[in-house]
Amino acid sequence: MENILIEGKHGVNFIPTVDFNAETGICELAGESYLEDTIDFYSPLYSWLRQYVAEVKNPIVYNFRLRYFNTSSSKCIIDILNILKKYKDDGGTVEVNWFYDADEEDIEDELEEIEDFMIETNLTINLVPN
Amino acid sequence: MHYRRDVDILDFHKSLDKNTPLSYKGPIDDRILQAIGFYIEGLLKATPKAGRKVFKIFIELAQNISYYSAETSILSDNKEIGTGMVLINESNDYYTFMTGNLVKNDDIVSIIEKSEIINSLDHDELRQYKREQRKLPPGRKGGAHIGLIQVALTSANPLDIEVNPIDDEHSFFSIAVKIDK
Repeated sequence: MENILIEGKHGVNFIPTVDFNAETGICELAGESYLEDTIDFYSPLYSWLRQYVAEVKNPIVYNFRLRYFNTSSSKCIIDILNILKKYKDDGGTVEVNWFYDADEEDIEDELEEIEDFMIETNLTINLVPN
Repeated sequence: MHYRRDVDILDFHKSLDKNTPLSYKGPIDDRILQAIGFYIEGLLKATPKAGRKVFKIFIELAQNISYYSAETSILSDNKEIGTGMVLINESNDYYTFMTGNLVKNDDIVSIIEKSEIINSLDHDELRQYKREQRKLPPGRKGGAHIGLIQVALTSANPLDIEVNPIDDEHSFFSIAVKIDK
């Protein structure tokens, strides 16, 4: 199965960096995410994860390193977490880490959002200060 | 000589007094989002926390205009983009971030109802409302229906909504958000 590697852009579109590795099972989403069409961007990522959990079936470590994401992107993050939650419920090994910058101005808001992600998906997310 | 001027640019200038670090009217696409977002962070860097909040609020409200404004412009790549206004006003203790755009009268009731629900909820209730709304099927281009809720959460103040009728089909919808410094 192929890897996904997308270089993040901090230009006209704010595209997050995506690094999904089928050999190591390590998936990373980093940078900033506010796109014109979130579904267009995130759909291939869902497909990759669904294929991985159906065919490769190895442990997944999912690392979020997002500095900013808009509400449309937050819905896509929930969709990703729901795929991971289902994999875990079906017996897969899943570790989700959320890396954050404790010095960030509005860090309370971000941590509250991660708490909401956990409530909404019933999946544990490890909070890891940088 | 003078040309006929339907808009008095001096009045316009005066209405945007020195406490308005930024104002824009026109189509709002990704390029504008990027440029204004970049300027906001720079202009408000004396108050980084409030500046960050204004930036986040700007992104949500500007994207709403881009997707849902009833007034649109066709750009050179034939893309149809929502048009509207964005404005930052600065007071001693807070910023007021405002947007305005045309909406179809048919859509007004649902926007006002949603705003009233938002303003009736406290912080934790807002978070719960956001989680519920986020579960609904996505809107156009993946919209999550929670932009206004997030704006209220980020600003930590009520939304100030105003609707003024323009014609049989359209109204001017404006929203002001207060962000404490």
